[in-house]
Amino acid sequence: MTPYLVPRTEPLLRSALDQDALLHQLVDALGSPLNVVLPGQLAENLAGFRAVLDAHRLPGEVYFAHKANRSSALVRELAAAGAGLDVASLGELQHALGAGFGPARIMATGPKSPPFLALAARAGVIVNADTLAELSELALLVAAHGLPRVRVMVRLSSFDSPGVNVMSRRSRFGTPVSQVGAALDLLEKHADTLELIGMAYHLDTMGLPEKAAALEGCLKAMDECHQRGLRPRALDIGGGFGVNYLADGAQWESYTTALTEAVLGKRPPMTWHGHGYGLRNEGGKVRGTLSVYPSYRPVAGAAYLDRLLSTVSPSLRRPLATLLLDNMYDLHVEPGRALLDQCGAVLGTVLEVRDDGDETLVRLDLNARDVSIEEHGVLMDPILISRPGVAGGEPAGVYLLGNLCLESDLITRRKVFLPARPRPGDLLAFVNTAGYLMDFRADHALMQPVAHTVALTREHGAWRWCLDERYWPAADRGEAA
Amino acid sequence: MRYDHVTDMIGDTPLLRLDPAVHGLVNIDLYAKLELFNPFGSVKDRAAWSMAAPYLRQATERGDTVVELSSGNTAKALAVIAGMHGLPFKSVTNRMKVPEIKDLLLLLGAEIDELPGQAECLDPTNTEDPLTRMHQLLAGSDSGYLHTDQYFNRRNIGAHVHGTGPEIVADLDGRAPDYFIACVGTAGSSAGVATVLRHHDPDVTVVGLVAEKSDFIPGIRNIDEVHEVGLFDPGHYDSIETISADEAIDGLLTLVRRCGILAGPTGGGAYQGAVRFLSAVDAQLTERRTAVFIVCDRVESYMSYVRERRPALFHQPARRHSTRTITAEELARAKAIDVPDAQRWIAQEGCVVVDLRGPFAYQALHIDRSINIVDELFAELVHGGLPFGRRQPVLLVCPVGEKSARYAALLTRMGHPDVRSLAGGIIAWRDAGATLVRD
Repeated sequence: MTPYLVPRTEPLLRSALDQDALLHQLVDALGSPLNVVLPGQLAENLAGFRAVLDAHRLPGEVYFAHKANRSSALVRELAAAGAGLDVASLGELQHALGAGFGPARIMATGPKSPPFLALAARAGVIVNADTLAELSELALLVAAHGLPRVRVMVRLSSFDSPGVNVMSRRSRFGTPVSQVGAALDLLEKHADTLELIGMAYHLDTMGLPEKAAALEGCLKAMDECHQRGLRPRALDIGGGFGVNYLADGAQWESYTTALTEAVLGKRPPMTWHGHGYGLRNEGGKVRGTLSVYPSYRPVAGAAYLDRLLSTVSPSLRRPLATLLLDNMYDLHVEPGRALLDQCGAVLGTVLEVRDDGDETLVRLDLNARDVSIEEHGVLMDPILISRPGVAGGEPAGVYLLGNLCLESDLITRRKVFLPARPRPGDLLAFVNTAGYLMDFRADHALMQPVAHTVALTREHGAWRWCLDERYWPAADRGEAA
Repeated sequence: MRYDHVTDMIGDTPLLRLDPAVHGLVNIDLYAKLELFNPFGSVKDRAAWSMAAPYLRQATERGDTVVELSSGNTAKALAVIAGMHGLPFKSVTNRMKVPEIKDLLLLLGAEIDELPGQAECLDPTNTEDPLTRMHQLLAGSDSGYLHTDQYFNRRNIGAHVHGTGPEIVADLDGRAPDYFIACVGTAGSSAGVATVLRHHDPDVTVVGLVAEKSDFIPGIRNIDEVHEVGLFDPGHYDSIETISADEAIDGLLTLVRRCGILAGPTGGGAYQGAVRFLSAVDAQLTERRTAVFIVCDRVESYMSYVRERRPALFHQPARRHSTRTITAEELARAKAIDVPDAQRWIAQEGCVVVDLRGPFAYQALHIDRSINIVDELFAELVHGGLPFGRRQPVLLVCPVGEKSARYAALLTRMGHPDVRSLAGGIIAWRDAGATLVRD
């Protein structure tokens, strides 16, 4: 059985990929690589998250984690759709303000440089404070410039758990939950400059028990606020809801089994230089851990949020959503990857196809930084878009080489199986890469070009395109006149 | 039968012939080796005792902590054994997947360390497996550990080479069965028993069962994980077959409902896998054969595991007074009042305000002089009848006024003349600027 890992594509993305003449024309004109974003998918994704909040009767906002993609089209579309935006740098904050987000819908998170913090305070956005020092710095800044009170949330970390010791990787972010008292002292002291609106956590984990413990920790911290007479009413639980990348769970299961067998030497290598993705063979036993993203995730995105909210709190013994609602709290979420599910693809031109011994090597005009599926451990096949009018060849297993003059520049170290052997001039589409996998790391190494980004939209069945920076939702929809 | 030590009761478990009317095999006598009869409840009692016993004296002198990578029966048996010898026990696990076992381990005094989940944003440098992490934990600690190491410890297999295997042969009048079917977890019982049976009769067919990857079966490894097990040697098995969680539950139901064996899902999987394999063989046979499979443990610890996958099995009869039976008309007729009216009503009529939210939220902020009866508890009370007199006016309060409206409708149906729901709930109350207090 051929170890395919067919990506999951929903109707809009599939329809865009079917426009092979248009896509070839765009790459001919704008060069390879080319990023394609689909702002038209965002409304549905946003509605999915809002539906979960509504189903649990929870008021709150969906803040898109901007760092997942720098596209203007996507950010402007979200501004028009009434979403919130989570910005983590000065540049992202400027981008957000320029895209039309009002300050009430912008949340500044992460570590902050002085100019970032200053612009956040002056614009009046919500500051999600990473440390106590940041709170003090912000209070001084607001007082010194006579600015209005700034709304703040306190990001907490290092939660403990009842019953069993739920271990969490140490985070470099946030204030340990044991220091909530000190944080509240500080907020009471600076009550004239800082307004506490809630508590936050963001954990980089797929583990529900860890997140449940953190949410419970935030609820208890909120209770501490109430005891002091403070009245915060929002909880921000960050993102990390995940994406399901593959169409078929059975393919994922048989692929990972085959990979294990290859590591044990029971079948021919499936990777460049026998790379084991974290697995290694020690005396005929598999050691290590399969260090890849679980590309098939039956519960991801909004469904994962729903499952988290339905989880019964270990110590308060009610579902987390019920506890939030009982306490009259708003729930803010910050999905990045999940909100961009199905929102784009990276296109690369096939430059050369050559046979080297038993292997077939395909050289592409893009590199591993233009489409960082390998860095993120997302295993899924690209889709072959043949030049129109050219018949496809026989199925083939190939290695995908990048355009950098570096031994290590493979788009993926997996041997990738395609339904037809590609030919020079064909395109490979790395689909569903808008969230973190697009130009997150793109650079001018070796003076290779960084991809242009185009926004594709479908109106009345016809596809239209424009440069990312020229996309404005209202203008594109032709709502004027 | 008299014993001086509970550990003397480990082993010598019954071998029960199953009714052919249940399994439908014509030419094969199918026997269940009932390991659930071990004193701590599972086949792992044998391995735990075999691995720990020789080192307990030394561990007690040094005050070592017994430690194992387990989230199930091995941890349970070791927790008991460690406790009996005054030693602490620590279980390290990826995830406690079965809540009842987690609670049981805590009850037995175990400490449980759950390792962190996978990062959402991949850190490719983090390639440690749980076992490596555990060895780091053991190496980096000042205090002593007795690490039983069930996936690599030959004494795990030894327990079955000297116990389970010979017991089966003895109970079959000195003959090995023709077929032996076992689930593969640590591979201790399957490999140990297979070794003994092959020694008696090289022609015995050994089938190892592993779990399908899509769902887990407690105590069974899947086809990939099995390669991480130090004791696993494919040479012990004539074939390796997969079994799904669904099949395991089917088997469990047959054993508990038709065979009088209160087996857990692992035993259920072994039964279902055995019958599936043997049915194909049975049709070709002309003479009688025997087959044995292992029932690892008991069903009681897996209620939530089964409920999650087969909720219909736990279908409760309809409750007499339940908000689930409220019709749209009843809901529309139920009285709801807005915040200003509610404030007046409370002041003038002295109605009882019942807050249906959880105690944690109630403690934080509530309407002055209200009573907290959390909804689950209120449902129980109402099931038995009206929980307050008909002449006592009642205002029900919940977060957004949905739950309280349903209860108002139910209490009205039950004959209460003046029960009202706070429209928009306590959130509307707060948003209207009405007073909330902490007592």
